[in-house]
Amino acid sequence: MYQLLLTRRYLFSKIMPLLAAVAVLLCTAMVLTVWSVMGGFLTMLIGSGRTVTGDVMIAWPNAGFPYYQDLVQRLEKDPAVEAAAPMIESFGLIALEDGRKETAIIRGIEGESYARVTQFKDILWWKPLAKPLPKDKHQLDPRLTKIGGTTWEQIYNNGLSLSRADGPTGAPQPAIVMGIEVSGFNSRQPQGFYMPTQRERTLPDGRTQWVDQFMPRDGKVMVNMAPLDSSGKAVEMVSRQFPVANEFQSGVFEFDQKFVLMPLGACQEMLKMHAAKRRVKVAAEGPKVVATPPGDESFDEPETKLVDDPARVTHVLVKGKGDLGRSGAAEELRRRCEAIYSKFARDHKGAVPSDLSIRIYTWEDQNRTMINAVQKETALLLVLFLIISFVAVFLILAIFWSMVAEKTKDIGVLRAVGASSGGVAAWWVAYGFAIGIVGATLGLGLAWLIVTNINPIHEWLGEKLNIVIWDPRIYYFVKIPNVVESEKAMYVFFAALIASVLGALVPAVRAAWMDPVKALRFE
Amino acid sequence: MAAGLYKTYRLGRVHVPVLRGVDLTVSEGEFVAILGASGSGKSTLLHLLGGLDRPDKPTQAARVCQHCGYDLKGAKKEQCPECGGWLTQTTGRSRIEFRGTDINTLSRRALDRYRATDAGFVFQFYHLLPELSVLQNVVIAAMVRWGVGYLAKSASCNREAAVLLEQVGLAHRLNHRPAELSGGERQRVAIARALINEPAVLLADEPTGNLDRKTGDAILDMLLAVRAKRQLTMVVVTHDAVTAARADRVVRLVDGRVVGE
Repeated sequence: MYQLLLTRRYLFSKIMPLLAAVAVLLCTAMVLTVWSVMGGFLTMLIGSGRTVTGDVMIAWPNAGFPYYQDLVQRLEKDPAVEAAAPMIESFGLIALEDGRKETAIIRGIEGESYARVTQFKDILWWKPLAKPLPKDKHQLDPRLTKIGGTTWEQIYNNGLSLSRADGPTGAPQPAIVMGIEVSGFNSRQPQGFYMPTQRERTLPDGRTQWVDQFMPRDGKVMVNMAPLDSSGKAVEMVSRQFPVANEFQSGVFEFDQKFVLMPLGACQEMLKMHAAKRRVKVAAEGPKVVATPPGDESFDEPETKLVDDPARVTHVLVKGKGDLGRSGAAEELRRRCEAIYSKFARDHKGAVPSDLSIRIYTWEDQNRTMINAVQKETALLLVLFLIISFVAVFLILAIFWSMVAEKTKDIGVLRAVGASSGGVAAWWVAYGFAIGIVGATLGLGLAWLIVTNINPIHEWLGEKLNIVIWDPRIYYFVKIPNVVESEKAMYVFFAALIASVLGALVPAVRAAWMDPVKALRFE
Repeated sequence: MAAGLYKTYRLGRVHVPVLRGVDLTVSEGEFVAILGASGSGKSTLLHLLGGLDRPDKPTQAARVCQHCGYDLKGAKKEQCPECGGWLTQTTGRSRIEFRGTDINTLSRRALDRYRATDAGFVFQFYHLLPELSVLQNVVIAAMVRWGVGYLAKSASCNREAAVLLEQVGLAHRLNHRPAELSGGERQRVAIARALINEPAVLLADEPTGNLDRKTGDAILDMLLAVRAKRQLTMVVVTHDAVTAARADRVVRLVDGRVVGE
């Protein structure tokens, strides 16, 4: 009991325990702030990784599989599945109006079903904006102003339907939606919005003129794709020009720089994956699309037959019910999809890949490399800061060591009135614990203040001192994560307490083993 | 009863014999003054009696010349090679007997309990805890004694402390800090602290040594009054013959030996 009384009385009676509490406070605030911001980045990144993929993907790359409508129906009947959408993913080459050719990942999608599975509606960039972005104080975002000849609403709807009124008739034509970074015609501003750039165009008479590069209005892109035969060889190169309906920003630079979305039907046609009569090799047990090993074509050509070849897709994207954004949350849905596909494969035996061959993976599996990288960076930063914070342990040790020296006589008095050496040690440990409680509590408060106000602080630093740490032109967010998770706060709090007690432990042992007679004679 | 008490301190490489075989018997309720010059070993004797320190074992004591402190390293010599003094081989064993128990044989825990319940200390320099109030300085001894059990006794302990402080004339100073008190008042607080656990023996180390004559006399009067009221056994260490004269019996200590009563 005397330990509590002494701890209470000594806690703020001197400057030294205050310094120890401040050390704990600063370390707690530092670790929690870094963890919250970096953890927020990770959550943001993981969320971004799901914006264009859904929760689970069923994939048979390049060749694709038929009867996907049946699979989508089976999936959507399952209570765990919110929606499913067919998709083709293939490589392509796009030719831009300024003559550049860029490799791209072409995704053939149905706008409506893709929007139900992914966050397609939200990631379309060019759309009406109700209010400016947080950093756009002067409302310079072009989406806030009127656009000549068309409306933002129309451009947005074009994006959703993957079409654009084009040509002399003005009838809707299949159009593409590109990642915002694909064309290189959009310049990201410090406020976080994009400004279409202008490019110099040479006229037939040799003169040049500057033209607007706002792609969703009148931009067109030539898409080149190579359909493959059943053996995986490119049959021919297919080229088709598409108007640009809109552009998207998923939050993942890799996606925004490489992905081009086009209508599923157009994609199927270009890749020869649409429904058609096709000549296929006939196997002994009946007509069947079979792969011919490369190099075998010239020998014993098997008999072929003209059959109705159904349309194919390479992927079916699945969105589960509820939020499956947590790590491991989509695993159960993946197992459900495996079971559903297994039955689907049995029912279409020979026509679709077997359940052992098909690839079924979660959004987490797909983004594993990216997630692991950020997780490792976060862990590395945390370890670094924890090592720095370990200094606090030694600081408390040093402060307590000198406090024990200062209170030597008090220790002698306590021993004289019957205090045991264990009791004296418990007093100093309790003292360290109390300092930890005070420091860690205030540290949590400080971290909460910093994190919740990190955006105004960051802006203030930028305005007054010209220090911009997270420049939206470089980083892919306009707002720094500003949420302190209670679980993380709890871990940091208890770590701070343990550190404080550890720091007090050695001085406590020293106090406990002090000779009471020498302590009483201490001057 | 204390018998055959030896104590040698080591200062660097030199052994300093402080007690060289002290025998002392104090009856219950007796007031014994231990009179001696500075360095005669009287405070050390008090610490041994109060269980704050333990005496040397006779075998340890025998290894050191009790005249000059020369380390004999266990050699069985009769004459010290350093000072030439003739050695007296110590025999038997040192004992500090309190109500039939040799406190030398007590465990650390039991010795702590002995200090908490049976012996009360009063020091020359008061040794109050500066951050605590007068009342808390007294109550803390009860807290140490009762441990967690203090929770149930806090009201009675606080009441007892207030009564004691009233008896020593400090009822109006309960919430003051030691720094706000005079030397005499501090010593009264120290006496109240020593008495809160109702010890059988009060061990006072120069209780008036840091006070002027008048205040010192008042403190001594108070101690005698308390002793009479509580039937306390009192051992007071002093170098002041006037203080010693008020004791039932005076034991003179010279160079760590009792030289006369």
